[in-house]
Amino acid sequence: METEKNMKYKINCFLLACLTTLHLQADDLRASLFSDMKEFNTIATQTKQNEHYQPYIISVFKSKELEKLGVSNLKEALMLVPGVDMATDNFNNQTPIFRGSNPFAYGQSKLLIDGVVVNNLFFDAYSEYLSMPIDMIKRIEVIRGPGSKVDGINAYAGSINVVTYAEDFKGFESNNKVVFKYGSYDYGMGGFVKNFKIQKLKGHIDFYYQKDNKNISSGPDGVSQGSLGPANVGLSQSGDAPLWLDEYSLGINLKYQEFSLKARLLQYKQGSAYGINFALPQKSDRIKLPSYYAELGYARKINDVHIDIKAGVKYDAFDSKAKLMPDNASLNGVVFTNGGYGEHYAKQRVMYQSTYLTYDGVSNHHIVFGYRVTQEKTIDMKSKLSNLTTGDATLVDYTNTLPFFDKDAYRNVDTFSLQDSYDVNEKLSALYGVNYEQTSYKDAGFEPRISLVYRQDFNNIFKAIYSTSHRNPSWQEMFTKNNHSRVGSTDLEPEKVTSYELAYIRNFTSDSYLQSNLFYLINKNQIYNSASNPAYRNAAKTDIYGIELEYKGHILPNDELYANYTYLDGSYTVDGTSKNSSLPNVAHHLAKGYYIYYFSNAFSLGTTLKYVGSKERMQTDLRPRVKAYTTLDTALNYKSTQYNYTVNVSVKNIFNADVRYPSPQNTYENDYTQERRTFLIAFKKSF
Amino acid sequence: MIRIFLFFILFVQSLFGYNYDSLLLKADSSIFPKIMLMDKKIKNKLIDNKIIYTIVYDERDYETALDVKEYIENTFKKYMNGYPYAVDLVKFSQLSVNTEASALYVLKSSTENIKKAANIARQKGIISFSYDINNLKYDLLFSLIIENSTILYLNKEYLHTNNIDFVDSLLSMVRFIGKNSI
Repeated sequence: METEKNMKYKINCFLLACLTTLHLQADDLRASLFSDMKEFNTIATQTKQNEHYQPYIISVFKSKELEKLGVSNLKEALMLVPGVDMATDNFNNQTPIFRGSNPFAYGQSKLLIDGVVVNNLFFDAYSEYLSMPIDMIKRIEVIRGPGSKVDGINAYAGSINVVTYAEDFKGFESNNKVVFKYGSYDYGMGGFVKNFKIQKLKGHIDFYYQKDNKNISSGPDGVSQGSLGPANVGLSQSGDAPLWLDEYSLGINLKYQEFSLKARLLQYKQGSAYGINFALPQKSDRIKLPSYYAELGYARKINDVHIDIKAGVKYDAFDSKAKLMPDNASLNGVVFTNGGYGEHYAKQRVMYQSTYLTYDGVSNHHIVFGYRVTQEKTIDMKSKLSNLTTGDATLVDYTNTLPFFDKDAYRNVDTFSLQDSYDVNEKLSALYGVNYEQTSYKDAGFEPRISLVYRQDFNNIFKAIYSTSHRNPSWQEMFTKNNHSRVGSTDLEPEKVTSYELAYIRNFTSDSYLQSNLFYLINKNQIYNSASNPAYRNAAKTDIYGIELEYKGHILPNDELYANYTYLDGSYTVDGTSKNSSLPNVAHHLAKGYYIYYFSNAFSLGTTLKYVGSKERMQTDLRPRVKAYTTLDTALNYKSTQYNYTVNVSVKNIFNADVRYPSPQNTYENDYTQERRTFLIAFKKSF
Repeated sequence: MIRIFLFFILFVQSLFGYNYDSLLLKADSSIFPKIMLMDKKIKNKLIDNKIIYTIVYDERDYETALDVKEYIENTFKKYMNGYPYAVDLVKFSQLSVNTEASALYVLKSSTENIKKAANIARQKGIISFSYDINNLKYDLLFSLIIENSTILYLNKEYLHTNNIDFVDSLLSMVRFIGKNSI
């Protein structure tokens, strides 16, 4: 009897032990499962894979897809983004225009490389980075609209985050590679990407060098329209505008436990394009736009609080050496028999520090608050010109007597932000917050934002966004002096935008969707100048509305199709004149798309189509509209999985379309001509 | 000429596979085996004391299936929660009730093939996972998508099967979905 009791007791103990073990195992598995789900969610959020569920209007382009289309650099990739057009100026300072917002301004969008803002201080532009080879880029995330505030960074019309191969996740494949390219205009490029790990130190290096010999027939130049005064109109020239490029870049990212370093050195040199004074320059005339930055970071999670501290320094410069006036030009009664020359140099430094705390301790809330302080300063300036008294071509140092720029230019910008992302229930989430910014000059003040995302089910997602933002005046708009075409002012108010956006996303399958966005943008205090009144002033108001449609999916199992269409329209007023019912220099219709057909695992054929509609002029500009254009590119891609190399041959603008970007009134009458048909061969070997 | 073109199209289609999202594949590979282990009756599904995790694939998706297998083997090393395991690759055309499997992971394919895989999983009383959430409507059991957060979807119409009994804690983590709502 006793033995039987003992036996029952032992069996019960054993069963209890088994049950406990099972529970423990189940708990461990549950914890592990939960951790995996969180990790993949983090990766998806960081890599914008779950873009449809984020409180922004966002498009993500993976460069591995773009490479198959023969897309060569960042600019070509951005031309595929819905609602984005490209503009340029007499320096060939190219800038993407988001949803038709102020085509002659820079800085309305921000470019970030691995989270570091790289807009130069001089123009607040990033033309020097648009030639960044696609092979150095892993992914491009484009947020349209002012809802692109990241850690106190105010984007006005949109932000572009370029993610390099420094981004690394456990279990993901290596991206080490070398790349060589050769193409039209004697274009040559070589570069590599290398990731490494030494114990706890993770590193990434990318390097590229590229140059071309691009000169494009242009003209007559702006002298014909009186850019150097009526006396010189007869000296106008037509000829090749030097649009050549010569640059190299070295990027380094290091991560050691909680510490990180992001650094880049870009030595960028280009031809003087259409001339500082709109007078066609010489072939060898050049502009340098170097850019260097280093950012130190410290990120740590303590219980429910995540601390993210960053401090960085960025240097950029505007460095021009060019012929500014043709031979025999006359200025203020002085004749420049051998032409007028100039050297302009302004070097800027930006130092910043930011601290952001994220708190997850309140159920369903994700609260972020912190500050970013920035000090911007011109640290060197030189201004040399041909002798303005005698007309002798030899350069005279006018740095102190006739500077082209305020050598003591500085500005402090302090931004504070508070934001909460709140999951109201399984279907509805809200993001709301406010930014406050004060500067040494005019303040932007408080800028609220609220965004709602409603997930009816997997197939149907709705978004509603209200946001406000601003663009501080750029350095050239504030501090340019003694210039015929630009007069800066430190009294400028920031440009301001209020945006209303609605989006509906229909997911057909896990990899096909249709997204439609409605937007209405109210722009105030837009900074404007003209040939007749070169002083920068807050003169323009613009209302813009439109719709964007974006589709991604397949026709066949072995293809990829992407297409988007944007319609935009609106009205504007300048200097309090009556409202004009059309937007100048803005294409009302933009359609872009690509199709990739995979013949096999090795071969694919890609086609890219871009249509940019015609553009009206300013009311006072009597030239005909800027003509619409359509370009068609095609690329054949071969990938050897056995030897890990890829060869891509592409022809761009096959039908030789005449592509022109609009020039301002009274400058280059026939606008800025762009390249016609070109070819490119790219070879990439992965390790 | 048209015939040649049509032949070409059909021929090349057979050479190239479906499109897959690599992040979703990796999430599936990490998460689905753990869900399988949360079945209280997992011991009944061992084959020679081993877990056989079977990836069912269309012929053209062999490379994808191989990538998934390698990712699982790198993630779980030699054991899944103490059980030795093997990852088998089986083409839809070779899949039958006699296929040795403790669970099926079903990649993309024709509706007919998906239904076949779901039917076999049901007959064998094993768990089936789907890469494509849309295939839950053909009676596969689990799928995963990365939305605002990572969400596990469980086909509620197929949950109550005699041979499958999940621990309660798992059921609190999943979102139930019916055929009509896919």
